Amino acid sequence: MIVSRRRFMRLGIVGGLLVGTGSVVAFVRTRGYVLDPVRAGRLVALSPWHVVVVEHAARRIAAADAPEDANIPSADDTDVAGFVDGYVAKLPADMRRDLLRFLAVLEHVAPLALGLGARFSRLPAADQDRVLTSLEQSSTLLLRAGFEGLKSLVFMGYYRDPRTWTILGYPGPWVNRP
Amino acid sequence: MGESPVTELAVRGRQLHADLVLDTEAVVVGTGAGGSIALRELARAGIDAVALEEGGYHTTADFNQREERMLALLFQEQGGRTTEDLAIRILQGRGVGGSTIHNTNLCKRIPDAILSAWADDFGLGDVRPEVLAPSFARIEADLSVSEIPAADRNANNEVLRLGAERLGWRGGPLKHNRVGCQRSGFCELGCSYDAKQNALKIVLPQAAAAGARIYADVRATRIHVEGGRVTGLEGVVLGENGEHIANARIRAKVVVLAASATGSAALALASGVPDPHDQIGRGLHVHPGAAVAGIFDRTLASYDGIPQSYECTEFLSFERGSDRRVWIVPAFAHPIGAASALPGFGASHMRAMRDYGKLAVLTALVHDETEGRVVLGAGDRPKIRYVMNDADRAQLGKGLVACARILFAAGARDVVIPAVFPHRMREPGELDRLDTGFVRPHELPLTAVHPMGTMRMGTDPKRSVVGPTGEHHHVRGLFVADGSLFPTSIGGPPQIGIYTLALHLAHHIIARARSS
Ligand SMILES: Cc1cc2nc3c(=O)[nH]c(=O)nc-3n(C[C@H](O)[C@H](O)[C@H](O)COP(=O)(O)OP(=O)(O)OC[C@H]3O[C@@H](n4cnc5c(N)ncnc54)[C@H](O)[C@@H]3O)c2cc1C
Repeated sequence: MIVSRRRFMRLGIVGGLLVGTGSVVAFVRTRGYVLDPVRAGRLVALSPWHVVVVEHAARRIAAADAPEDANIPSADDTDVAGFVDGYVAKLPADMRRDLLRFLAVLEHVAPLALGLGARFSRLPAADQDRVLTSLEQSSTLLLRAGFEGLKSLVFMGYYRDPRTWTILGYPGPWVNRP
Repeated sequence: MGESPVTELAVRGRQLHADLVLDTEAVVVGTGAGGSIALRELARAGIDAVALEEGGYHTTADFNQREERMLALLFQEQGGRTTEDLAIRILQGRGVGGSTIHNTNLCKRIPDAILSAWADDFGLGDVRPEVLAPSFARIEADLSVSEIPAADRNANNEVLRLGAERLGWRGGPLKHNRVGCQRSGFCELGCSYDAKQNALKIVLPQAAAAGARIYADVRATRIHVEGGRVTGLEGVVLGENGEHIANARIRAKVVVLAASATGSAALALASGVPDPHDQIGRGLHVHPGAAVAGIFDRTLASYDGIPQSYECTEFLSFERGSDRRVWIVPAFAHPIGAASALPGFGASHMRAMRDYGKLAVLTALVHDETEGRVVLGAGDRPKIRYVMNDADRAQLGKGLVACARILFAAGARDVVIPAVFPHRMREPGELDRLDTGFVRPHELPLTAVHPMGTMRMGTDPKRSVVGPTGEHHHVRGLFVADGSLFPTSIGGPPQIGIYTLALHLAHHIIARARSS
């Protein structure tokens, strides 16, 4: 089962899904995502289920190397998903559409390709890492590119926050530097 | 000349309360390196000229050195533009001043060997080095081009110099167009200190002072051609969020395309400009590049100071068929850029980011033979088809190995090529065994900031789009004055070449505007 799915990936079926029918998959499986109604009401480009997926991905992509260190802000502290919503809203429509389709593949298809039955956002952290790694190293080039795009957006949301600069020893912009 | 000081350089889209309808002599599309010069020269010649710029009008006060904000404000597609296969990130400017707002100010003339080859192969006798030299000199004077003093070299550039010198490799200081540089290191996000002597600060104010009008937030969408002559163009006025708020209709007997090597070709294609030999959009070169990082035992703070002040040219020569086609310069990024480029994610990625201050980064750019193509994409935006050929991939591999050797020679403790499966090395001997087969799209993050070609100059309409005067082979009054003109790659920073070609061709544009 898993092997045949992997072969599917190699043949580019998932790539085709990403471009073609990812949104259909997403459409039929968008129930069960809980988002605070105030936050949901503020969204401009993402729907609540997209936000949940981005939040989960961001927590793993920007996971701390010293989780016990209270000085390291989390992806939630820096509101990565809120940032991504605002950023994606201004992208040209076709780029926005591709990203949203990639989120559908991440949530619904990529776990299946590893033999994991649950949605990405319901997997334990270690399995989420496996899913993300499989996308980063996928032989389907479109999936790799999708991962790179999401990773850039997450890090844009994360490392824009001055609290993260102390991790790097980076003093920040000169403009408005005290 | 009677030039007067200008207060507001450009009219913004939101200041237009109705359709923009103009009857003028010349209209320039795009306000970057090429467009600014074309506009200035037209205005100084007394021609009634306007420029349309699809991006916004931003000033020094807007440049707040924040990556996430400036990428969105100053770059095409918020910095997310890529090749069609998503393999190469293409950074290009969008706004009054074009890509000159956030380029890193390197200034080099087009190499003599390249100009001579253009003259011989494309019938461009008028671009021979000795003919073009006065135009280069004028542009360099306009932009206050000078050599970057050794005292201004930051640690990243010192690593390149030291490593190259220890290996006995050719290199030297670079020139730039900055006056009063504060060495903050944020050039790529727009200069907060107004030290860039670029189109926004120097050339466009001169154009406006001579009477040219500049409209920001106006995207040209169709060029009008009747009976083999251009008659003007139409466009859309954009609101603050890119929404369509009004229309633009400009009647003019000269249209100058200066929307960059991607934008000009896309506009010509969308307009159905005559193209009997299917040339528009072909011949795209981009100087694809990738980076190599060295980790040192001491703090370098490579993000501080002038980003690029030294080059290594050991593997760069311009004679025909050369197998030395890589240019090596430092490349440093601020945290978001660095985080996106470093391989992996999660805890291991954050551990790597902790070395941020100890990193030196070099990039190898290929003087590319690959010819890509601009075609029409969604919403008539440029779609960029470009897949590096084997020879260029081999060159890039050679360049990355050279970067790694320089970093080791300068004392790096570890060297990393941040591919999808990163290549980490602890001593230079490992480079002898490195198989560079990974140098291919999607295995290695590739970036390009120098799109060129697509509306090439030449005498032969079967191999070019415009003639030696910059005028379209088949449409009278339609000119090109930007990086699209280059018949080949030039293997180095293109802005001075673009400014200069626009200046060199300006008298032809002026003559056409004056003709009945
Ligand atoms: C990060 C970065 C660093 C660089 N560093 C250097 C450097 O150090 N030295 C160097 O020589 N070069 C550098 N370059 C490249 C250099 O800036 C460009 O090659 C040069 O500015 C291109 O000039 P151009 O006139 O062809 O186009 P641009 O300067 O890109 O201007 C084109 C303008 O046209 C506008 N436009 C596009 N389509 C339309 C339309 N339909 N309607 C209206 N307007 C439109 C765009 O918004 C843009 O403002 C760098 C570029 C980047 C991105």
